[in-house]
Amino acid sequence: MLRQIGRRLFTMIITLFGVSIIIFLILRLLPGNEVTASLGVSAGLLSHSQLAALDRYFGIGKPFYEQYGSWLGSVLTGNLGVSLQSRISVASLVGTALPVTLELAIGAMLIGEIIGVGFGVLGALHPAKFVDNLGQGVSIFGLSVPTFIIGTGMVTLLASVFHYFPSSEGFVSITANPWLNIQQIFFPALTLGLGVGAAIMKSTRTAMLEVIGLNFVRTARGKGLSRRVVIWKHLLLAAMIPVITMSGIQLGYLLGGTVVVEDIFVLPGLGRLLITSISDRDFAVVQSVTLIYAAAFIAVNMVTDLLYTWIDPRTRA
Amino acid sequence: MRPFATSLPVDVSSPGSDLSELDVPGARRRSALRSLWRHPRGRIGCILVGVVVLAAVAGATGLTPYNALFQNNAAILKAPSLSHLFGTDQFGRDELSLVMQGLWVTLEIACIAVAIAGTVGTIAGIVAGYLGRWTSAVIMRITDMLFAIPAILLALAIVTALGPGWLDSALAIGVGYIPIFVRIVRGPVLSLRESAYIRAGRVLGFSPVRLLFRHVLPNVSGIVAVQVSMALAWAILAEAALSFLGLGPPPPTASLGEMVSASSPLAATAWWTLAAPSVAIVVAVIGFNLLGDGLRDAIDPRTQRH
Repeated sequence: MLRQIGRRLFTMIITLFGVSIIIFLILRLLPGNEVTASLGVSAGLLSHSQLAALDRYFGIGKPFYEQYGSWLGSVLTGNLGVSLQSRISVASLVGTALPVTLELAIGAMLIGEIIGVGFGVLGALHPAKFVDNLGQGVSIFGLSVPTFIIGTGMVTLLASVFHYFPSSEGFVSITANPWLNIQQIFFPALTLGLGVGAAIMKSTRTAMLEVIGLNFVRTARGKGLSRRVVIWKHLLLAAMIPVITMSGIQLGYLLGGTVVVEDIFVLPGLGRLLITSISDRDFAVVQSVTLIYAAAFIAVNMVTDLLYTWIDPRTRA
Repeated sequence: MRPFATSLPVDVSSPGSDLSELDVPGARRRSALRSLWRHPRGRIGCILVGVVVLAAVAGATGLTPYNALFQNNAAILKAPSLSHLFGTDQFGRDELSLVMQGLWVTLEIACIAVAIAGTVGTIAGIVAGYLGRWTSAVIMRITDMLFAIPAILLALAIVTALGPGWLDSALAIGVGYIPIFVRIVRGPVLSLRESAYIRAGRVLGFSPVRLLFRHVLPNVSGIVAVQVSMALAWAILAEAALSFLGLGPPPPTASLGEMVSASSPLAATAWWTLAAPSVAIVVAVIGFNLLGDGLRDAIDPRTQRH
C-alpha cells in the first residue's frame, strides 16, 4: 500500500510538471506581454530605453526555457508572483480565495452525495415507486440542465419570489459569521450539487440493483440481521466501488463548475479570481490559479484510485 | 441459396455485383442507420438533432419568423403568445428568432471545435496505437497531461491567450476534447495492428500511410462517429458556458450562453428571456447525447437490447 502511494505520488509530480509546461506555453501565446498588460495603451508612449528597462525587469526576450525555469523556481519556493492589476502577491490572493472555493466544493459534494446516495438507495429498494420516480426526475434534470442555467434560475427565483439575495451584503467568512456564511454557500452548493447528485444517483441505483439479488444478501437476512444493517452495511459497501468512481469523476468536474457558480453567485473564490484576472489579462494570476486547479484535479483522481484499493481488496495487485 | 440480406437496397442484377459485395461498408452503414432509427433513444436523438440543426440553419439564412435584430418598440417584454412564440426581449426583439440565430452561432463553434478535436485526436490515436513504443509513449504522456487539466479551465486558459473570438473559442473548446479521442481510438488500433489483414498488407509492402488511412481508419470510424456526437453535446455546453462568462465570440453574434447571461436581470419579471435560450441549449445537448447513445448501440450489436 505504501509503495503504491509512493508510486502514484511520483507520477502525479511528473504529470503536474508537464501540466505546468503546457499552461506556461499556452499563456506565452498571449499577444502582448507584461508591459502592455500593465500599462495598456500608454505602453506606446514609452521611450525605447524605458521599454528596454521594463523588458529586462519582466524578463521579456529571454529564451522560453529560462523564463519557465525562473517561474518554476519561484513557484517551488512558494513565490507565485505578483498580480499586475492589484499589485498584491498572488499567494495572498489565492490564500483568501482558496477557502471559499474549498467550502463551496465540500458543500456541493456533501449535497451531491446526500441526494445521490439517498435517492439511489431508496430508488433501488423501491423500484418504480414514488421515491424512485422522483429520484429519476431529479436525475434527468440535474444531468441535462447545465449548471449556469440552474444557477441563473436559482438566483432569479430567490430574488423575485423570496426577495432574498444572500450575497448582497458581501461575502463573510465562516469564522466571522457562520450562519450567514452557510446561507451564502448553501445555494451555490445546491446548484453544483444537483448535477453531481444526479450522476451519483444513477450509478448508486445501478450498483445497488446489481448486488441486491446476490446470495450474501440473503444469507445476511437469513442469519437474522436487521433490514437496516443489511442495507446500509452490507449492500452499500458492496455497491461502493462504482459510487466512489463516479464521486471522484464528479469532484473533478465540480472543480471546473465552481468557476461558473462563483461568477453567478458573486463568491470571492478561486474561480472568480480566475475570471477577473482573465478579463484583466493578469496572467501571473491566471497561470497560478489554473495550476492549482490542475493540481487539485490530479490529486482527486489519485485519491479516488487509492480508495478503491483500500475498499476493495480484490484490486490490490 | 438465398442471399442473407435481400432487404438491402443493393441492385443485385447489375453487372459485377455478386453476393460477396453485399457486405461492403456502404451496406453496413445503411443497416446501422436503420438500427439507429429502431433504437428508441436513438430515434428521439435523431429527431431532436434534426430540429436543432434545421432551426439553426434557418436562423443563419434569415428564415426566422421575424428579423432577429428588428426592435419593435410596440412589443417590449411581451410574454409568449401566438405572434411571438417565445415572447420578446427588452428591445422588442423576437426571442424565437434570436434563439435560432444564437443556436447557429453555438452550433457552428461546437462543430469546428469537434472537427479540430476529432481530427487531431483520431490521427494522434491511430499513430500512437500503430507506431512503436517511443512515439506512442510521447503521445500518451502529452495526452495524460492535457487530461489532467479540467477541460473548461484549459478552454479558459486558451481563450485568455488568444482573446475572445470565433475561431479562438472553437480552438479552446476543441483542445480539451483531444485526449478523449486519442484514448478511444488508440485501444482498437493496438489490437488491429496485430490482425492478419494488416500484417498481410505490411508483407505486401503497403506504405504505413496507406495502411493507416485506407485500412485502419475505416475500422475505427464507428467509435469515432459515436464520440463525435457525444463531443458535440459537450462542446455546445462548453461554448454556452464560455459565452455565459463573457468569453464567447464578440458582439453582435450573440450565442446562446450570452443570451442566458443577458437574461439574468430580466428573468424575474420576464421568465421567457431565460427559458428560451435555456430550452434550446438543453434540447441540443440531450439530442446529441441520445444520438450518440443510439449510434453506439447501432454500431456495436453486443450492446443492443440489454
